[in-house]
Amino acid sequence: MQIRPALSLLAALAGFVPAVPAFAAEDLTLYTQRHYEFDEAVHRLFTEKTGITIKVVKAASDELIVRLQEEGTNTPADLYMTADGGGLDRAKKAGLLQPFASKAIKEKVPATLRDPDDQWVALTKRARVLIYSPDRVKSGELSTYEDLADPKWRGRLVARSSSNIYNQSLMTTVIEANGAEAAGAWAAAVRKNMVRPPQGSDRDQIRAVAAGLADVALANTYYLGLLEISEDQKDRDAAAAVRVFFPNQEGRGAHVNISGAGIVKSSKKAALAAQFLEFLLSDEIQSLYAVETFEYPVSETAKWSATQEKWGKFKSDEVAFSVLGDRNAEAVRLFNQAGWE
Amino acid sequence: MAINPQAPALPIVAPVVTRRPPRWRWRGDRWGAGAALLTGIIALPLLAILFHLGQHSVEWGHLAGTVLTRYLTNTLILVFGVSLLVLIMGVVPAWLVTTCEFRGRRVLSWALILPLAIPTYIAAFVFYQGPEAAIPMLIQVRLRFGVEAFLLAEQIIRYGLLIVMLAAVLYPYVYLACCSAFSRQSRAVIEAARCLGDSPTRSFLRAALPMARPGIVAGVALVIMEVINDYGAVHFFGVPTLTEGVFRTWFGMGDKVAALRLAGIMMLGVAALLALEQWLRGRARYVEADAGSIPMKRLPLGGGKAALAFLVCFVPVALGFLFPVGRLVHWAGLHLLSDSEGGFPAGLALVRGFSLALATAVVVTALAALFMYAVRLRESRLRRLLGRIAGMGYATPGAVIAVGVLVVFGTLDRLELPLLPLVSGTLFVIAFAYTVRFFAIPLQLARAGLERIGKPLEEASRLLGHPPLRTFLRVDLPLLRAPLIAAGMLLFVDILKELPLTLILRPANFETLATTAYSLASEARLQACAVPALLIVAVGAIGLLVMNRWLQPPVPHD
Repeated sequence: MQIRPALSLLAALAGFVPAVPAFAAEDLTLYTQRHYEFDEAVHRLFTEKTGITIKVVKAASDELIVRLQEEGTNTPADLYMTADGGGLDRAKKAGLLQPFASKAIKEKVPATLRDPDDQWVALTKRARVLIYSPDRVKSGELSTYEDLADPKWRGRLVARSSSNIYNQSLMTTVIEANGAEAAGAWAAAVRKNMVRPPQGSDRDQIRAVAAGLADVALANTYYLGLLEISEDQKDRDAAAAVRVFFPNQEGRGAHVNISGAGIVKSSKKAALAAQFLEFLLSDEIQSLYAVETFEYPVSETAKWSATQEKWGKFKSDEVAFSVLGDRNAEAVRLFNQAGWE
Repeated sequence: MAINPQAPALPIVAPVVTRRPPRWRWRGDRWGAGAALLTGIIALPLLAILFHLGQHSVEWGHLAGTVLTRYLTNTLILVFGVSLLVLIMGVVPAWLVTTCEFRGRRVLSWALILPLAIPTYIAAFVFYQGPEAAIPMLIQVRLRFGVEAFLLAEQIIRYGLLIVMLAAVLYPYVYLACCSAFSRQSRAVIEAARCLGDSPTRSFLRAALPMARPGIVAGVALVIMEVINDYGAVHFFGVPTLTEGVFRTWFGMGDKVAALRLAGIMMLGVAALLALEQWLRGRARYVEADAGSIPMKRLPLGGGKAALAFLVCFVPVALGFLFPVGRLVHWAGLHLLSDSEGGFPAGLALVRGFSLALATAVVVTALAALFMYAVRLRESRLRRLLGRIAGMGYATPGAVIAVGVLVVFGTLDRLELPLLPLVSGTLFVIAFAYTVRFFAIPLQLARAGLERIGKPLEEASRLLGHPPLRTFLRVDLPLLRAPLIAAGMLLFVDILKELPLTLILRPANFETLATTAYSLASEARLQACAVPALLIVAVGAIGLLVMNRWLQPPVPHD
């Protein structure tokens, strides 16, 4: 009875011994918020092509910022990647990133999708749109995010919690466009129009529209793409029952957030890291993003997926991404006051 | 000299005491110092965080004026709802399987533990199908009875299912604690109650239940702490609690101080609850009549009673294990049968999670047992306080602890002490963080165990001249076998399931089953996520069953 636990302890400790490192081929360490399985496939492609392996730590963007701050110059991280422009801006302002020198990156990516000081670059775009039921929403009924505050939508909307960064980012752009007071009133009215309290993920909002509970959901397009290729028939049926509407096309455009990355300040492998970013921005990989995660490529020469072509071209809001970082606290405060949980 | 005041009270043992006064005194201090040091180390990350509490907060007034009431109300609703349910789902089956004999009892007695292997963030996906399935019904309610009725129904379904879900996967904390308490209760007391004319139910309520109180309290305390720092499930169900407030305020608003005040409310709330329980308990002490007594003979049940007992024990297993596992198997089947490519290194993730959980569980349980013994050796307010402080990590959200640990190791790194960079950013850091987070589990169970054993045996051993360590190893440890194995078991599955700490602190390329499942779930790929989720459940369940075998009453030595 005394021996067995001791033995299992030894066995367990054996698990701690790290594997003998492979011959010091070059590697890069990436701190990322992106939880995509597809990203790992991309990393493998990069390794095949260059021999450089990618080591990954995945966690929430702000938690990774704390980790970078505390690790200081001892950090093993070479790259910091998020699924939200605000996170990139906060990392920059915390002094955690260094500018990239790569000309190729600058040529490939439009200036609006890069940091003005070249400290980060967008890798993909994601549009936050209105997903509606064609049976219950008349054509011409949908127009803008602002219009969702109209009483005609009472009991017809669904959205997820405002703790979610996608809602917070959208809110920063509403504040930027209309001012804080109007944005607060907007959030309160939209919350009032919701058929149920916020819950679940974007996926669940789309399914609620498909199930007939609500007529319009606030969601990112790629969730719809993922439902379309789901292994569950119910998900595919739900995706077939709804349509995408890009709001504010007459005005500032639909809210587009980015997933992007920057090179960590203390990294001594800036050139390698830039090489990795260039690889992610190559048309080959950019087109793969469109197919695999349904995110929009930032490269203008990369191909969209058939699903994205079906959703259609749209005008996107070109607000500076520093707004997302700067106004985030204000957005949360307004959500709190508006009662949007 | 120092122990003179004790001498008159114990005239018979006076010679023993006076023979070696300096040594006794010294040893006692060493245990105390050890306990204090351990508390200090464990509390360091919490202190690093609490340090900010007194600072100026920009957003606190705003929070208090807007969302604080909602956070508090939701937290209290969940705490009370889940506590009540786990008491029913934990205590009654524990009593039935330890004291009655009915068809299926043996299988149920271990199956009742299995829900522990289901992480709450996985159970949340499964149980959220409830509100989703209720949509057609809710639409009918809206059509016939109006919006108010609809909103009420929607809320009842959602809160109700969340409470049932949390209780269904957390009740084993209470069940395990009760089983270990009931199975060690002496037959004499219960039989005395029966002889005095009590019915079995009455003897349960009047004798067995009060005697099991330390265990029940320990179990419920763990459940409450799990509930208040759950993040995934409450967020998913749209029931924002204080923990959601902590993250939202810290990361969304960048106000660390206000966020930590919210976390502070949680810690204080738990501390207040435990103090209240101590106070209600008054001067009652729990001492086993004779530890070597024969276990109770199980009362055979027949017919309707047996069926009822079976049902009462089966429902928790069905809700907390069979239903979620059934759904996961369905999803995993869809995933595996489809031609979608992409797998994950399951073997590696499995070995990693398993070995890390097992090693940490063993070490932490041993530490906690020694710690609790030190606290008990000379009961004093100070030492009891040490125990409370060392256990506070369990009432703190995992991500908050992770940040505290990062701050501590970051500070150590900046001091540039030799050797330390080797330590920082390694598995040692995660293991340490798990210790901070989960120390309360073995602590609570060891405390309950020591309380039930009482002092007599230990005092006898000490009076026979055995020093504390030997007394601990030869007297208390064997008697603590059951609660400590139970504690190790709970720790093992808790670490296996743990997510927020692991996500933030792990070394590069360190994927466990939990982190893999989380990644897939956050991609909204539930079918693919079901595969690692099932593996967690399988490893957890196997671990639980193996340890449960060790829990079977040992052959009496004497």
